[in-house]
Amino acid sequence: MSPLPAKRRKLNQDSTSIDGSQSEANEQHSPPRASNEILASLKPTEAPRANDGGDAALYAGGAYKSSMFKLQVDELLREVAPNYEKRFRGVTETLHKLKGLIEEIAEREAVSVSDATKWLHKSHKITVPFPDPKPDKDAAYKLGYAKPSNVNVIGSYTLRTMVKSDSTLSIDMLVVMPTSIFQEKDYLNYRYFYKRAYYLACMAAGIRQSIQEEFRLTFEYLHGNDLLPILTVKRKSDETKSPLNYAINIIPAAPQGFFAESKLRPTKNAVRPKESTAGENAVLPPTPFYNASIRSDCNFKSYLKLLCSASKSSDDFKDACILGRIWLRQRGFGSRMSNGGFGNFEWAALTALLLKGGGPKGNNILSPRYSSYQMFKAILQFLSANDLVASPIVYELADFVAVKNSGPMLYDGQRGQNILYKMTPWSYYLLREEARASLSMLNDATFDQFESTFIMRTSQPLQRWDCIFHLSIPSQPLSSPTSDHRSIAAEFSFRVAEVLTEGLMDRIKFVDIKGPETSSWSTQSSPPSSLHSSLMVSVTFDSANIDRLVDHGPPAEEKKKAAKFQEFWGEKAELRRFKDGSILESLVWSPGSSYAIFQDITSYLVKRHFGSEVASSLKFTGEGFEKLVPGCGASTKSFETLRQSFIAFEKLLRNLEGLPLQLRNLSPVSSQLRYSSIDQPSFSSGRPLRTPTDVVLQFEGSGKWPDDVVAIQRTKIAFLLKIQSLLQGADETIMTRLGLENEDKPLQNCAFLDVTDDSGAIFRLRIHNDREQTLLERQIKDKSNDHRTREDAVSALSIYKRLFVYLPLHTQSIATHCTRFPLLSPTIRLVKMWFDRHMLGGHIREEVIELLVARTFLRPYPWRSPSSIMTGFLRTLLFVSKWDWRVEPLIIDFTEAMTSKEVDIINTRLEAWRKIDPAMNRTVLFVASNHDTTGTALTDDGPQKLVASRMTALARSACKLVKEKDLDLDPRMLFATSITDYDFVIHVSPKFTGEHRRKEMSKIKYKNLEVQAETGQDIVGDLSIYLYIDELKKLYTNTVVLFHSELPGSTIAGLWNPQTVSPRPLKVNLTYSTRPAGVAPEYGREDVVELDKPAILAEMARLGGDMLSEIVVHP
Amino acid sequence: MSKIGEYTVLPISIPSTPAYPKRTTQTLYLRPHTPKIPTAHDERSLFVVNVPIDSTVAHLRAVFASLIGAGKVEDVTFEQERKSVVPSREVAVVGNASKKRKRGIKSLEESGGVDLPQIWDRELRRSGSTAVVVLVDAKSAESVLKSVRTLHKSSTKDQGSSWPVWGEGIEGKKNEAPKLGSARYLAHQRLRYPDETVLKMNVDAFMTEFNRKEEEKAKREKRMRNVPDEDGFVTVTRGGRTGPARSEEAEQKKREMEERERKKREELQSAGFYRFQVREQRKAEQGELVRKFEEDRKRVGAMKEKRGRFRPER
Repeated sequence: MSPLPAKRRKLNQDSTSIDGSQSEANEQHSPPRASNEILASLKPTEAPRANDGGDAALYAGGAYKSSMFKLQVDELLREVAPNYEKRFRGVTETLHKLKGLIEEIAEREAVSVSDATKWLHKSHKITVPFPDPKPDKDAAYKLGYAKPSNVNVIGSYTLRTMVKSDSTLSIDMLVVMPTSIFQEKDYLNYRYFYKRAYYLACMAAGIRQSIQEEFRLTFEYLHGNDLLPILTVKRKSDETKSPLNYAINIIPAAPQGFFAESKLRPTKNAVRPKESTAGENAVLPPTPFYNASIRSDCNFKSYLKLLCSASKSSDDFKDACILGRIWLRQRGFGSRMSNGGFGNFEWAALTALLLKGGGPKGNNILSPRYSSYQMFKAILQFLSANDLVASPIVYELADFVAVKNSGPMLYDGQRGQNILYKMTPWSYYLLREEARASLSMLNDATFDQFESTFIMRTSQPLQRWDCIFHLSIPSQPLSSPTSDHRSIAAEFSFRVAEVLTEGLMDRIKFVDIKGPETSSWSTQSSPPSSLHSSLMVSVTFDSANIDRLVDHGPPAEEKKKAAKFQEFWGEKAELRRFKDGSILESLVWSPGSSYAIFQDITSYLVKRHFGSEVASSLKFTGEGFEKLVPGCGASTKSFETLRQSFIAFEKLLRNLEGLPLQLRNLSPVSSQLRYSSIDQPSFSSGRPLRTPTDVVLQFEGSGKWPDDVVAIQRTKIAFLLKIQSLLQGADETIMTRLGLENEDKPLQNCAFLDVTDDSGAIFRLRIHNDREQTLLERQIKDKSNDHRTREDAVSALSIYKRLFVYLPLHTQSIATHCTRFPLLSPTIRLVKMWFDRHMLGGHIREEVIELLVARTFLRPYPWRSPSSIMTGFLRTLLFVSKWDWRVEPLIIDFTEAMTSKEVDIINTRLEAWRKIDPAMNRTVLFVASNHDTTGTALTDDGPQKLVASRMTALARSACKLVKEKDLDLDPRMLFATSITDYDFVIHVSPKFTGEHRRKEMSKIKYKNLEVQAETGQDIVGDLSIYLYIDELKKLYTNTVVLFHSELPGSTIAGLWNPQTVSPRPLKVNLTYSTRPAGVAPEYGREDVVELDKPAILAEMARLGGDMLSEIVVHP
Repeated sequence: MSKIGEYTVLPISIPSTPAYPKRTTQTLYLRPHTPKIPTAHDERSLFVVNVPIDSTVAHLRAVFASLIGAGKVEDVTFEQERKSVVPSREVAVVGNASKKRKRGIKSLEESGGVDLPQIWDRELRRSGSTAVVVLVDAKSAESVLKSVRTLHKSSTKDQGSSWPVWGEGIEGKKNEAPKLGSARYLAHQRLRYPDETVLKMNVDAFMTEFNRKEEEKAKREKRMRNVPDEDGFVTVTRGGRTGPARSEEAEQKKREMEERERKKREELQSAGFYRFQVREQRKAEQGELVRKFEEDRKRVGAMKEKRGRFRPER
């Protein structure tokens, strides 16, 4: 390793000498003679990406998260880099041409504002893009045009940090205006901006004539800042098919150093009021945004220099910038003010600044030796660690102390610029939160987080936010405008943000407000106004506080605070006396779902502060999903009731005297006892639970159990009979019944005991005996058994393991997490409903679905754990749509204690499975958790590949719909399924459908009728259709794949197995019904038979009898 | 087509049902029964392939009656029933009343009362399964095949409406099979909760039987332990004087011992007692690192092949 640094130093020296001319040219920027050279020297030269092969990565342990991460980052960088030569073919010529044209524009005498406007309008039909407020017609100053002092290309094109994207790539061309047209005091009262606008219009007029044929010329606001219009040159659209999809931004800039930095600091005022009523001595309010806009116009070149030197001093600076750029883009951030005002320029400038200094005692925070990933992570660290709103940071400026401002501040003293001046407080807090979230996922050592960091797009509103609402911008400006420059929309959004954060308090975590997008406009018209447009406000809830009903204000004694509270809330504020004796100002909201309360408060706030006209324009999005959850929404009350009954039942069992063996465990295994059944359990003493709740009972170990599986199963019956008689003796009100199951599988559990207690809860008791496992394993290993016996034992063992070993643990974990995350339970139920509606329920076990949703909550990255049903549901669907189950296991880490080694083992196991069974005939989905690292406990009997692919396809189309429809999405659309894809559909007669059954159950009955009604246990006919489906599945295992949904349950759809459809010679052991099909040449002219579809359908119809209404065959 | 391979084809017309209002035919394939292990009834038995799922003895009786007249079928055995006799466990399934009688004769002493009560009122046959029909004599068996052939000839002439109709002639009779449809599932719901006393007796019977067999087995083993075979060797069997030691317990103990040994050894090694150990350990770690890296590279390569894996989403 030792010779390496020396080599590098040498290389560096070489490179500086090569680049010498360039850096020199950069130094002496002002003479126009040099600008050509700059243009030339900044020509695209493919920077060779350091790819020293594997060894570098091997030892990169510390510099990267892991070697896997490093390799992926390398691939990413390679993938996103645009091919500059191909993409920007001919761009240099265009730039040169434009430069020439601009330099040839004739000078114009300074004339008055009205003359200048008139002239431009008359001769070129160009409207000068003056910012608001428009200049006075009879102003004393005059507008003129002179040859620019410098024309140059800046931005990420020159730095080679561009990234492929759908939108047009743009190249920034800087035109530095000459000092001759300005006066020193022009920074005051918009004068600079008027002159700049006029200069821009003159340029547009000058070049329009000569390039009209080839290009289109439009005005646009630079980053949406309406003080800074720019000119964009775009190739005409008839060539859109070619890859030459780029735009050139012509940006007029102020001469560097012309306006004094000290006058334009954030604390200074540069917009003087028309008539100073308060007298000369009054302190004028500062105009930070206005000042910073001028400063940014002066600083283009100095930042170019800063970035150039940074990229020279640090090898990985550019890559770090690209990583930052991708990260920002995936989170919806950009330099435009509507995108938060923090884009790749701000990122790069921040990185460059931190390379130079920023640390304690002027040390630099970043070392130039850092790898791109380290630099990237350090910036995230910096962003998340500092609160730049509460404590602004000033670099390299001794005589300036920053004061707390409305927005974040990072003041670059050397260049005199607040880098974050375009950011609003809310966009800043959002950025900080994203940085924090990303940091915590980069610190996750167990799972690879590459995809969530760089690949996933997190800014989809429905997946990102819990509630989104629109409100229209009032037409007349709000009273008491600030002196600083702000558009009406911006001013309004500031006020909305203030009101919302004060009014909603800790109910919400983050708020984002997006104003209307500014678009480009023709050079001949005036800029589009933001009237009649609306703001989009998005919020994330704090699920712990969102549905609080009473807000406590200040105590009545504190007069001032109380008055302020009343002022803010109006008539809603009321004085209340609380249990602890305190008398507080308070607010009481009517109970409802979290959305209802939120909408209530928001509407009230908007109405109180912005008038009823604005309030009537409110439009909320997001509640639709919560409304779809069956039963009473997100409440888990009825689950709690069942849990109480279970606890009572356990107590009763434990207190039974005379059991032959001591009771060890009573574990629930039913989804009703882990808050996750689609329907909430509803029961009362006269109307017992519909589906029995499965419970597993384990006795203390004993050597007296027989040494034979079948005998064990029979012994269980004896135990259950004993429990039954004891229970009946202990409590008169309890009803018990002993039932049989698995009649054709002697190795499996054969009996259960249904216990109905007086509250109406039904528990289905099965006995767990751990000797079964050993005996079954022995039977599997025993070579003397025939194949079928061993197969039977294998399937019995897998069912044993799932029911008695895995499910109790699973139930416990899910139940625990449902109490930890209140939204997990309703989200699971909604996702289950989605699977059920798409008729996948019979194939994919409900536990698998629960784990899929648990993943969304436990490994929420790149977001945080969902705080609404909508986000939880959509993120789960998104994961399902992306889950490549062929190579990726689903791993749930309930205890957050898994190590990367364990994850590796699970991955290896999946690979091994795929090697053994590449066609995926046995296990398709691989689902592992802390309780089951084999990954197959839940999925070894399905879903088949066909079903799993269908799941993915359905989730994909759902996600596509979400993306297309965006805020207009009707959630019910996601739950509508089509039955046209199936080969045949069996329609169930209405009396026997699940829907019918549900209605029957939910009918409100009178108490006295309930008593008269049959004692529940006999109402079993409504299960018939499921028994029918089960029998069909058993009878036609290899022939058809059946799909059905529990609700509405009116159809059973089926597909013929393609393997059985083709004709083949008659054999005795074919597992399906056949009919002769002539001779087939591929079988040597032998007579063949084929699947007899009509006969099978007729059989199904006979078996279903009166339960079916129709069987429809699709051609 | 009247024959396919060695099978005679017998189409059965299936009456239409309200849910599937089409006349369909189900094809049965018949041939003389020739099992691998011949039995006395072989020459008067027919082997039937592809019986419908709702077949009962009565159904097949009716089919054969329509071919060669009533009273010629002595017995019908379905596929599952034949199999269930072969394996060691006692799972006889009962089709209907007539089956019960038969089973009663055959294996009362072996499995009488130890089976769990039936929880379905009617057995179903797997799709495409087989049955053996025993007729009264060999002549009837031949005449069945012959009449099928005649039917084939006549059907080519007049569009064959003369095939036996499924389920015809068994309605309203005493031994009519229980109805399908919702009635079947209602009955199941009733049957799956048998009477407690019946169950109790059943379990008792099973356990007595089980214990008797266990005892028998123990006795047999004991005998084997004591009696040398013709070569003078004594077979080693479980049990004996040392008392019942379960083999898996012994295995468990052995595993535990090995585990303890292994741990001890590992402890010594991980302590890095010798320099060469430390060196080797480091080497192994490095090797592991390289191996993992190679693996990662392979995985990334595989990802790369799937397009768009490294392209940020839009």
